[in-house]
Amino acid sequence: MSEQTPTDLQLEFQINGRNMKRRAQPHQRLLDFIRDDLALTGAKEGCGAGECGTCSVFVDGKLVKSCLMPVAKANGTKIETIEGLAGWGGDLTPVQKAFHKTGASQCGYCIPGMVMAATSALRENPKADIEEIKERLGGNICRCTGYTKIFEAVEMARDVLSGEANAAVLEADGAGKSYIGNNVRRLDAPSKVAGRLRYAGDMVMPGMLHMQVLRSPHAHALIKSIDTSEAENLPGVACVITADDVPGEDGFGVFVHDQPIMARGRVRYVGEAIAAVTADDMLTAVRAASLIKVEYEPIAAVFDSEEAMQNGAPVVHDYAPDNIVKHIPIRKGDVEQGFADADLVVEQSYDTQAVEHAYLEPEAGIAYVDHDDVVTVVSPSQNITHHRHMLAKIIDRPINKVRFIMSPVGGGFGGKEDMIYQGMLALSAMKTGAPVRLVYTREESIISTAKRHPARITYKMGLKQDGRITAVSFRMISDGGAYGLSTEGVMRKAAILACGPYNIPNVQIDTYGVYTNNTPSGAFRTFGAMQSQFATESHMDICAEKLGLDPFEFRRINMMQNGAVTHTQQQLGSVSIGRVLEAAEKASRWETGPVSMRGQERADLGGDDTRPPCTLGARFRKPGDDDRQEVA
Amino acid sequence: MLTCDQYHMPTSLADALVLWQDAPEGTQLVAGATDILPWAREGRAGDVHLPAMIDLSRVPELDGYTLDDGRIRLGANVVYQQFLTDEKLRALLPCMPYCSVWFADDQIREQATLAGNIVNASPAADGTPPMLALNGELEIARLENDDIARRNIAIDDFIKGPGTTDLKPGEIVTAVICDTLEGYGGSFQKVGQRRSLVISSVCAVACIKLDEATGKVADIRLALGGISPVPLRLTKTEQLLTGKRLTREMIVEAARQPADLVASRTRREYRRVVVRGFVEAAIEDALADCGAAVPDAETRETADV
Repeated sequence: MSEQTPTDLQLEFQINGRNMKRRAQPHQRLLDFIRDDLALTGAKEGCGAGECGTCSVFVDGKLVKSCLMPVAKANGTKIETIEGLAGWGGDLTPVQKAFHKTGASQCGYCIPGMVMAATSALRENPKADIEEIKERLGGNICRCTGYTKIFEAVEMARDVLSGEANAAVLEADGAGKSYIGNNVRRLDAPSKVAGRLRYAGDMVMPGMLHMQVLRSPHAHALIKSIDTSEAENLPGVACVITADDVPGEDGFGVFVHDQPIMARGRVRYVGEAIAAVTADDMLTAVRAASLIKVEYEPIAAVFDSEEAMQNGAPVVHDYAPDNIVKHIPIRKGDVEQGFADADLVVEQSYDTQAVEHAYLEPEAGIAYVDHDDVVTVVSPSQNITHHRHMLAKIIDRPINKVRFIMSPVGGGFGGKEDMIYQGMLALSAMKTGAPVRLVYTREESIISTAKRHPARITYKMGLKQDGRITAVSFRMISDGGAYGLSTEGVMRKAAILACGPYNIPNVQIDTYGVYTNNTPSGAFRTFGAMQSQFATESHMDICAEKLGLDPFEFRRINMMQNGAVTHTQQQLGSVSIGRVLEAAEKASRWETGPVSMRGQERADLGGDDTRPPCTLGARFRKPGDDDRQEVA
Repeated sequence: MLTCDQYHMPTSLADALVLWQDAPEGTQLVAGATDILPWAREGRAGDVHLPAMIDLSRVPELDGYTLDDGRIRLGANVVYQQFLTDEKLRALLPCMPYCSVWFADDQIREQATLAGNIVNASPAADGTPPMLALNGELEIARLENDDIARRNIAIDDFIKGPGTTDLKPGEIVTAVICDTLEGYGGSFQKVGQRRSLVISSVCAVACIKLDEATGKVADIRLALGGISPVPLRLTKTEQLLTGKRLTREMIVEAARQPADLVASRTRREYRRVVVRGFVEAAIEDALADCGAAVPDAETRETADV
């Protein structure tokens, strides 16, 4: 990198109605400038690559993605951010109120950008119809809502602004006698729709330092040496930490504490933290991290969970020579007899893939040691009490000297249960005596944090001609990746829910969580149930077809009834599967009969309650056009 | 992370050319700058430090458009959103609204320029196939003894391969010049992994004009992107259809040919299937766009993808 001194930019601009004159660094993006220099943190950084829209702001009346705009381009312009929409201290705009009313904000992290995009859509075309609204919001991603409530809000705001609807629709509905069944507005929504809520990455403290993590390019390697001297000598660097700096018992995880806060002598997956630099500013931290020299000795790695279970496979953790994180076996009845009694046995395997949670808020946190020597970590942790106990051991402090504060979670979905970076933050705050902040990039979030367990499920089902299930054998092998995290719990849940809500006399279930050198798997919405339900319900459909039965009918023959006992010997007072099937059958306009009987003409598709496929070109569609420009 | 020592915003073409001619090695020209920031990130170029960036967006000579005898000169600062919002451009370049609406999203379209998209020379560029179909050329300026000298080059000759062009040191692309096709029907097909903000796996463009008296094809323009190192104009297919009254069989046959042109490094079979469906759909959508009947639309063969 060049040693030349950058030439600062002199900027004059108007922001939210206020004229300003500021200096900026030549490389700064508009997003950095408004967040870091102007402390307007309503615009967020979700991806840094123009993909998510959380950073949307108006520049000279046009909505732009501020993560893609060099700040120099804003010179001489009028900038409007979410903070300026309603004016300082002003009432919320109709768009913001509509987002509040419809419950469009959940985690809230995408919401400032969504509100900006909605505002832009209605400014550009106050009469935009739903298709055009969708199209104009196409550059903004939300992970929580499924968009429906957001679109409802934009339509509501449009109607209020045009006078077609009374502004009273934006106000709270009366709760009546009960909140249940009534539309109740979220208490925290105003702060989200106004961009006022501060997530961990929005927080600043006086004297705050910035952290950059160095990560492994290898999936499995021994660390021969780490030389941090050059990084430490770079002006502006406060400290560099590695596993050697951990004072206590290093290890975290939801069940087994097998993961050090930074790789200890050995890396087990690409993206694992090796060292962390803390410096005066982000740029210095990034430069220093690139000066750390690590000598690796790559060793044999294993990337397939079934291969990892074979004798002689590379061992990921010495304590588990068979690479098994957890095996959950469940037995009920006599499976061999059940298959012998069957008229038909259907066997099939099902694969599911790793999935990233993709919360809009990348991991972030800030740590400091307070006046009473309490090591404090503020982060969007979904498991702060457990984190607190683990961290106390890792940094060798009594529990009353460790505090975790949960910041607003900009989407978690299970992905923020792991104490993946809080240890590095705490340690650096202890070493420097200053507040230290770490904000992941989207790339870091994807490469280094847990994913949904990929699973390979072998399903065998014994059936009588009349549709009764006589036996099930269910074997699931899950890729737990390099560390244990929540694998044990996920395997347990998958096993408990393996056969679905069906009454099966003979059951054999085995779920295995296996270590490999892939990115660790962890908690993810449904916690293992998705994988087993995907297999179970797919298998039910296949078996119904083979028996020539209607798939609803086949399920009704086998479903549990009130008072049923599950294969884990839990008695169920009430069972709702019957009502679920009834509702699903009705809502899907199911045409009764086995699937093989269905003709080419299906009456169940495209009803009034279904939305047509997404189209583009709504704003220049001519009268009478059909939706020709379909998504291929 | 992208860093630089200098960020210049020249306010005349002459200033821009001087800065560019004297720029230290590694200096980058930018217009919308929507490509360079995502490029300088982990997984792509990583951390990049540039001695300087020269931003052309405030050079007035690159703004706006002018018409001349069936051709249009689109200044290099014309952004994608203009093809959607400018009624006149929409009428003159009937395929461009469809191309534009598939390009990135509303916000990026406010920044990203057609010229920048072409100069990047990505095999998947959305803007290049339409410009090939419209006989596009680039106007390029350079300094010669302190005077501004210009040359024009066909886009076909300008793009040499992925990321490689005929642009010489000191040169700046100042305009895109292409045919205007008022009264034609236009269409654009694109497939990628998401509706907005997606890079094309394959894209196809069509412009079509029927003879009012005979209903035969008076002129047809077809081009494909994403299927080979450089985007392709489908001249053979155009010749096959020109002067004909289109039937279902003819469209299906015409769509069959270009599949053989697929020369991508990856997913070739998939792209061949898509190309067939896209050429068919592009022709049909262009016919519909100019108000013509689509032959046997209900029996349209849907590509099995």
